[in-house]
Amino acid sequence: MVGLSAGEKQFMHGGIAQDLRSDGRQRLQFRPISIQTGVIPQANGSARVTLGTTVVIASIKAELGKPAPLRPDKGKVVIFIDCSPTAGPMFEGRGGEELSSELSVGLQRCLLGGKSGAGAGIDLSSLVLAEGKICWDLYIDGLVISSDGNLLDALAAAIKVALSNTGIPKVSVIVEASAEDQLEVNVSDEEFLQFDTSGVPVIVTLTKVGRHYIADATSEEESQMSSAVSVSVNRHGRVCGLTKRGGAGLDPSVMLDMISVAKHASENLIAVLDSEIAAAEAAEDDGS
Amino acid sequence: MASGPLETYSPSQTLERRHQQQKRKSFNEIDWARSDGRNFHQCRPAYLRTGATSSASGSAYAEFGSTKVIVSVFGPRESKKAMMYSDVGRLNCNVSYTTFSTSTRGQGSDNKDFSSMLQKALEGAIILETFPKTTVDIFALVLESAGGDLPIIISCASLALADAGIMMYDLVSAVSLSCFGKNLVIDPTSEEEACQDGSLMIAYMPIRNEVTQFTLTGEWSTAKINEAMELCLEACSKLSNILRSCLKENVLGFTD
Amino acid sequence: MKELLISLNQTQKVRLQAALQHLAELASQVSSSNLAVTVADTIPVNNEDGILKGHGTTEFDGQVVATLCGIVERVNKLVYVRTLRARYKPEVGDIIVGRVIEIAPKRWRLEINFSQDAVLMLQSMNLPDGIQRRRTAVDELNMRSIFEENDVVCAEVRGFQHDGSLHLQARSQKYGKLERGQLLIIPAYLVKRRKQHFHHLEQYGLDLILGCNGFVWIGEHAEPIDSEVLEDRDKIPKDKQRDTPLEVRRNICRISNSVRLLSALGFALSVEAIVDTAEASKSSNVDIKDMLGAEFYVQTAEREVQRRASLLRKKRFV
Repeated sequence: MVGLSAGEKQFMHGGIAQDLRSDGRQRLQFRPISIQTGVIPQANGSARVTLGTTVVIASIKAELGKPAPLRPDKGKVVIFIDCSPTAGPMFEGRGGEELSSELSVGLQRCLLGGKSGAGAGIDLSSLVLAEGKICWDLYIDGLVISSDGNLLDALAAAIKVALSNTGIPKVSVIVEASAEDQLEVNVSDEEFLQFDTSGVPVIVTLTKVGRHYIADATSEEESQMSSAVSVSVNRHGRVCGLTKRGGAGLDPSVMLDMISVAKHASENLIAVLDSEIAAAEAAEDDGS
Repeated sequence: MASGPLETYSPSQTLERRHQQQKRKSFNEIDWARSDGRNFHQCRPAYLRTGATSSASGSAYAEFGSTKVIVSVFGPRESKKAMMYSDVGRLNCNVSYTTFSTSTRGQGSDNKDFSSMLQKALEGAIILETFPKTTVDIFALVLESAGGDLPIIISCASLALADAGIMMYDLVSAVSLSCFGKNLVIDPTSEEEACQDGSLMIAYMPIRNEVTQFTLTGEWSTAKINEAMELCLEACSKLSNILRSCLKENVLGFTD
Repeated sequence: MKELLISLNQTQKVRLQAALQHLAELASQVSSSNLAVTVADTIPVNNEDGILKGHGTTEFDGQVVATLCGIVERVNKLVYVRTLRARYKPEVGDIIVGRVIEIAPKRWRLEINFSQDAVLMLQSMNLPDGIQRRRTAVDELNMRSIFEENDVVCAEVRGFQHDGSLHLQARSQKYGKLERGQLLIIPAYLVKRRKQHFHHLEQYGLDLILGCNGFVWIGEHAEPIDSEVLEDRDKIPKDKQRDTPLEVRRNICRISNSVRLLSALGFALSVEAIVDTAEASKSSNVDIKDMLGAEFYVQTAEREVQRRASLLRKKRFV
């Protein structure tokens, strides 16, 4: 990240105060979003999301596995984010590790709900095939190809779109009387179950610059932030996860205000994503 | 637009016929068809494109069958590490696999090895004297691994370097070949690679007629090596022509 | 062509394709029969004697061979290859915009989008009080008061020193620190060398500086500083200084989006093109942020086709 001069910083703060950011957006407007589904053919579902000049790819692979002993009625989801050096030399080697783990944890918090599984964006119990014995393990991998700010929102959007594109093969369990470890399963090649993504939340990151908050910050704007709050909101307006990032302290009333502002901004984002997903599905149906 | 047409780069007809006759004799032992319907001396169709990433000085994307690779080149930039003055530039190569590139998740094979092999393959082609004291970074990312990864990475990197305007003696194209008993199979997929008896990889600069990298595994007779080299060099020349036509399209399509 | 980062619907894709096709056709009509080469292609020189091998060429096997991809240019006996998307190559007298990354003894190091950083010596910079005198040790310690790290500076290329480093000078009034605006980074080959790089757009009240290195500064108009004014200004604390008025800010955003759009399309940047695009967006009531959207993108490409076609027609009738 390049630094900014005092003059530029002042100009940016002034712009945000006057509700006119450097590319003409208002404080709560997102950059143009475009999505493409099915970019990784060998995965069960994948999507590429472009948010301005930030480009991320999410891929979802489903493999058969055993449920955790403490939670026999739930499948497992693993989220892993990688910042590739193709985005820039600063991500080479260990450079991207800290950022990658921060993003992974943030996404896990927002998508996986509480420990009991309540409130999760992905319904883990739908992943179970035979309780205590076989379940689906979902591996969600995110890859950052080009970074220009707001990676968390872009990755969450990519995961949501990839889930809508995911097909889990239909599995019929051949019932074994002796119910020990080895169960035979018949994995169908033909039939696929689509994921229901209406419950999957989106993340809106509000970056506090000066006295105002902006949504969808570019990397220049992010470098000026005092603190940021990433709020995950689902379609029904319920908050599904929240992470505060950045060093400066926030007044509690400011935090509550940011939550409500994020809820408001998320409506638009959800609408845009839904229409893009529908368009992509329509294009798929036409093409196939 | 820089999208190359889907082309196969197969050796010339006469060579193919001769080898087919030889094949028929040895076919008694193993009679198998390749899973994607190619014959033994046919390479996968190559799709190459430059300008894949916007933030890099140069970049290229390659799709050979199912193997997908993206390479971006940054630089020449100031070496951030405090280095002594050097007359020649420095090359920094890094090859990484995405977690979803292989069918079993997270199995990024041979990363460290590939990075240094990529560097050795390209060192002979790049004119390092043209950027003293600075570094050129080459980052390769394998999006999908389906066999023949390293040669594809090398060819794609040459394209990205040319796109970035780094001076080179010639474009490097690379091809690998597997040996199954008496059969030589060019451009193997990962299933074929898994059960090969031996392998050979050549990185070659066709116009300069120089080999920049050559690796061989397994037990080979000299005659077989000669035969394999002939096949590979021919395939490299054809691949180099495809790289060139991709770059030429860029030059002609440019609006000034 | 770079992959597009915005999504176009089907009709827009078709229109864009048609426009780009037209532009390619027009370009081929205009350009002379210069040879396009890729790496390791032979350059035909008809066995002339004394051919000077310029940039991007080398000798192999008695022939002149290209080491870059581009177009072959000939100037008398000099043969060289001109790359199309060339990295910035500094020439003496170039006006550039750079960012200070380090303060070293008696000099500043600037990043200028070149393979190495450029150096601005303390002697090559006017002192704040405007007096021409020898720089003392006190001046050296006060370097930070002139330029700090991350400051954006406008300067001119003085030349390469014997050790290979690039030196700049900022002695004139119009060079110096740039404030109250924003810096855009675009590919350097889109900025052609012209007579004027400083543009004061009066109708918008802003300054537009097209650095030859691809750094473009768009900011509020700043009068060349007088030494007395400087002292007065320093007395006012930073946050009380007058903020940029909204109207000027809108214009700055419009112009910057117009620069971003033209560089995304790969069109050469000139003041006329930038102002035209901004005016067109104003007259078609396109919202500032929508200038980066799909519709205006395609419209701008189509407008460029019109402009070049009419230029070609005018040339023919002359």
